[in-house]
Amino acid sequence: MDIARLKSSFARVVMHGDEVPLHFYSDLFLKHPQTRDMFPVSMQAQRTHLVAALVSIVSSVDDPDALTAFVRDLGRDHRKFGTLAEHYDAVGESLLATFAYFCGDAWDAGLEADWRAAYQLIASVMIAAAREDEKHNPAYWTATVVGRERKAFDISVLTVQPEPRLEYLPGQSVAIESPARPKLWRYYSMANAPRADGTVDFHIRLIDGGAVSMALTTHAAEGTELRIGPPVGTLQLDCASGREILMVAGSTGLAPLKAMIEQLAGLPMPPAVQLFFGARAPDGLYDLPSLEKIAAEHRWLTVAPVVSAERHGGPTGSLTDAVMRSGSWSGHDAYLAGPTEMVQDCAARLAASGLPAAQIHVEDFGWSEP
Amino acid sequence: MTTDAWYDEQQRLTPDQLQTVSFPLTRWARHGYEEEPVREFLAQVQAEMVRLINERASLWQEVQRLRRRILGTSNGNDAVLFAKDDAHIHAVRILSSAQRTADRYVADAQAYSGRLTEEARVRRDEIMSQAQQHADMLLEEARSRARAAAVAAIDTDGLPPQTEQERRAVQAELAYLRTFSEVYRQHLKIYTEDVLRTIEDWESKERAATREIAPPHEVPARGPTSPGSR
Repeated sequence: MDIARLKSSFARVVMHGDEVPLHFYSDLFLKHPQTRDMFPVSMQAQRTHLVAALVSIVSSVDDPDALTAFVRDLGRDHRKFGTLAEHYDAVGESLLATFAYFCGDAWDAGLEADWRAAYQLIASVMIAAAREDEKHNPAYWTATVVGRERKAFDISVLTVQPEPRLEYLPGQSVAIESPARPKLWRYYSMANAPRADGTVDFHIRLIDGGAVSMALTTHAAEGTELRIGPPVGTLQLDCASGREILMVAGSTGLAPLKAMIEQLAGLPMPPAVQLFFGARAPDGLYDLPSLEKIAAEHRWLTVAPVVSAERHGGPTGSLTDAVMRSGSWSGHDAYLAGPTEMVQDCAARLAASGLPAAQIHVEDFGWSEP
Repeated sequence: MTTDAWYDEQQRLTPDQLQTVSFPLTRWARHGYEEEPVREFLAQVQAEMVRLINERASLWQEVQRLRRRILGTSNGNDAVLFAKDDAHIHAVRILSSAQRTADRYVADAQAYSGRLTEEARVRRDEIMSQAQQHADMLLEEARSRARAAAVAAIDTDGLPPQTEQERRAVQAELAYLRTFSEVYRQHLKIYTEDVLRTIEDWESKERAATREIAPPHEVPARGPTSPGSR
């Protein structure tokens, strides 16, 4: 297989931008119309995802370990869409037809054979990962809404009962699909440590024009059956470090951190935890009462609410400012979650202040669209 | 200038438009354009250019392909310009353009719903700040009345009401304050109820509007297969 040639032909193809995935999906849907139903009405986001995945694969071709890990995750993740082994052949044919179309004269039998071999390799890893996952997990969980509480004007807490029981680690998230918006999956973090009754909380912020957040706040009445995918994400408590903990939560970024706090509450000797919880306005501190309740019961937890605008009793200014003002964190494990900008800013300033990168644990909701 | 013109076949950006486009001036110094419309326009120009480049590339390929076909079949009388492959490519193009139309419809609907929620949010902030102001005002007035009453009490303190007239005056003041607080309580209650009603009205109106636009369970799942055109 001539890797360099594959790479250069791929570069030539992606030059055509959105036309490439557009051509690919049209080709696929024409040859296999039944696959159309697996996708949402608007394909805009889907096309971006496809190109992003292809770019990831091609750019990590020289790092087989990273590539295999990525492709295996991709294979597992595709189970929730109802992807079957036979779909991989259909996708492969359309992908080759698309590459051939955009390569023009540069396409020949040798290149075609190489691309076919490369695709088959990747598809076989995806299929194997999916088969392996089948032994332990369902393709998706059916989660029945058992409670919905509006905590603020635009923030609700949704409680669901997944079937079968969902096993996860605090800090992880799942993709959720609402029957009101079929085929649109959005990631949300579990906001509690696993409970005996198996119920799970999600903190949903209503985003202006956000199709899924609207479906999960306004249309998700009790009894609504949502679908959730397998738990993903690498934000996890390092229980063995023995260091004290700094947590910084922006808005609903609180969810994974709250799950971790509940996890800590179950340990015999939890380390001291300082939680900064920030919002733009006082009513954005939607879960403060319940946090203060936990803090009242557990002396190792201190909660500092931060409002970045408007008048309020607590400290003002940006969340990161408040964190940096409050002392040195160099001996701590830091866990950050919230809007991309806030998380990046906070991580950068903590690093600049001398906190080793290995001690900064980040959850970034930037990729979770409305 | 419309922001959604770039995707509409009938309203593509023309060189004429580039020559005649005008932007509103900034309100303050009249020294420049407002940034937002200029940015929007640039985005439009950018989208158009991407489109032209892509179109040119695919046309060029088409030309190459046709040229090859003509050269390859130059001796035969049965030169078929549209083989099975061509029909497929043609169908891919039609489907792609239908998909783009569907994407636009969804994006438009989403933008519309975004605007609605944003408006609701702004309106809610207005109602809240009005209510806050009103409450502050009521509180301030009640406070100043109470202060006045306290001052009056201190003034009469120590020397007990000596005349029947003074005693009656104090009683009158007390009665006044009682009525006053009652009236204010009533007033505040009515006002709060009114605010709640307004909010409920808004909510139900918004719900009705949402239902009209997109019945949640009747969203066509196969939209893109029917070529949409305006």
